[in-house]
Amino acid sequence: MLKSISPFVLSTWRAGLRSRSIQAILVLGVLLMGVAFLSASFSPRQPKTVALDVGLSGIRISLVLFSLFWVQELIGQEIQRRTVLFSLTYPVNRGSYIVGRYLGILGLLTIAALLLGMLLWVVVLTTGGAYEQGFAVAPGLPYWLTVFGLWLDAAVVAAFAMWIASLSTVNILPLALGLAFAVGGKSLGAVLEYMMQGADGDTKIMQLSPVLNTIQWVLPDLSRLDWRIWPMYGKVPDTQVMLGGGIMGASYVVVMLALAIYAFSRREFQ
Amino acid sequence: MRIMQLQRGNFRLGLVALGAVAIFAATTSYLKKAPRYEIRAELRVALPLFVQVAMTMGDRYLAADVATIQTLVVDTSKMRPDEFAIQAQLQKDVSWLNPGHEDNYYVAAAILSWVGEVDTAQTVLARATHARPYDYQPAFYYGFNQLHFRHDPAGASAWLRQAATNLPDGQDKLQMQNLAAIWLDRTDDLATAILVVEDMAKQAKRPDFKKYLEMRVQRLQTLKVLRDAATTYRQRHDKAPTQLADLVTDKLIPAIPTDPFGFGYDLDTQGNVVLRTRPPVPTQTQIPVRK
Repeated sequence: MLKSISPFVLSTWRAGLRSRSIQAILVLGVLLMGVAFLSASFSPRQPKTVALDVGLSGIRISLVLFSLFWVQELIGQEIQRRTVLFSLTYPVNRGSYIVGRYLGILGLLTIAALLLGMLLWVVVLTTGGAYEQGFAVAPGLPYWLTVFGLWLDAAVVAAFAMWIASLSTVNILPLALGLAFAVGGKSLGAVLEYMMQGADGDTKIMQLSPVLNTIQWVLPDLSRLDWRIWPMYGKVPDTQVMLGGGIMGASYVVVMLALAIYAFSRREFQ
Repeated sequence: MRIMQLQRGNFRLGLVALGAVAIFAATTSYLKKAPRYEIRAELRVALPLFVQVAMTMGDRYLAADVATIQTLVVDTSKMRPDEFAIQAQLQKDVSWLNPGHEDNYYVAAAILSWVGEVDTAQTVLARATHARPYDYQPAFYYGFNQLHFRHDPAGASAWLRQAATNLPDGQDKLQMQNLAAIWLDRTDDLATAILVVEDMAKQAKRPDFKKYLEMRVQRLQTLKVLRDAATTYRQRHDKAPTQLADLVTDKLIPAIPTDPFGFGYDLDTQGNVVLRTRPPVPTQTQIPVRK
């Protein structure tokens, strides 16, 4: 199995690196860190926390965009240009192609998360100058676990986009639907919370409650993968809930990949 | 042979997918009921919040940061009452998106309570108290507002005791508990108000905001001078002054002082000196307030 997947993983990495992805990550990273640094200058009392907060949001947005870009570039475009047929001439099943490509994208996402994570931490350390804020941000495990949560978030979005790419005949669809999925999944937590509180007494909105409850079975609640309160405020999230979020994300990835393999195996290329 | 292999492959894939679906369903079912750390009893929020959330790719923390920056970049010393109402709504939104936002509760305590938006300030501070159990300040400011603006010493004392629980054991905790006991006996304590705002000004990092708070201190100090003069006037004449000019006529103050914010001072129906929260001439409303 590993033997049949590895060529696709390696070719994904090569293609990713060849497409100047690392340079793009660095450019976007520097830009985002600049935004985080500037945002912190508005904060009267917690510049490091604000830099960390905005920076983590920047990492999440970057990772999601990168994952969609890579799915589009390495699967969508290959199918569109029919160059996928060269890959399928290997004596392996089509599932290996999907899994290999996905693992390759995960590898690229890992590099991006590590680079952006390190850049952000440098920004956080240098923000605020000599000013010592009352409550310090937490480095180490809380910080890197939060970056891991954002990486997992992007991995779920990438798996969804892979499925769309495996059956789509429209080039832009994985990107567009992937983006809608990323926004919807991340907003879901806030919307459900609002509903749970009675929607401010708005009965019309409350009528949507059953729909939203049903959506939760199809669209994963990606806000469960956001654990930034830990490094920002030192408030340790419930371990069981964190673990639940991680398992939910991972299982969703498996479902999406299974669907992608199924669709791709039956797809006819002419 | 090839068909059989394909069928076996499909069967395995189906099994894996089914297993994953079961795990996804089980974890989703668990997470539906799992508590969220942000949820608090008094959440009330306008729907356009979700527009803010959607605009930041569903990221509520980023939406909170964007809204906070909006409230921080305005020049508060030149704001009109209707603009303060917009600021109050924004800060309330932020306190829902990220109740632990330190700048948000600090600005709410420093500005909103003093411009007639006490209810919103208290909502922001209550949410911050819940979200930041290691920080005594939101509970302290809540208690102060309860004493100074709502004239509720019992409520203020209770919040101060809550603030004391958020302090580590030691002298600070004891002092806070002592203050809670003292506040039970006080109402409308202007000297305490001056000390609280002075302390906030000392903590301010941005020079313009620090200056703004120092102007508030100056305003309160002037109010204290006027109140002391009015008390002396009452003792001399056995009646309250009918206008501020009476204090000048009686040589208790050299002239009616100017207010750094331009709103001025006034006498209420009982002849007590109060701060105006609006300019003497009402300004024209230009910006609609979200209800």
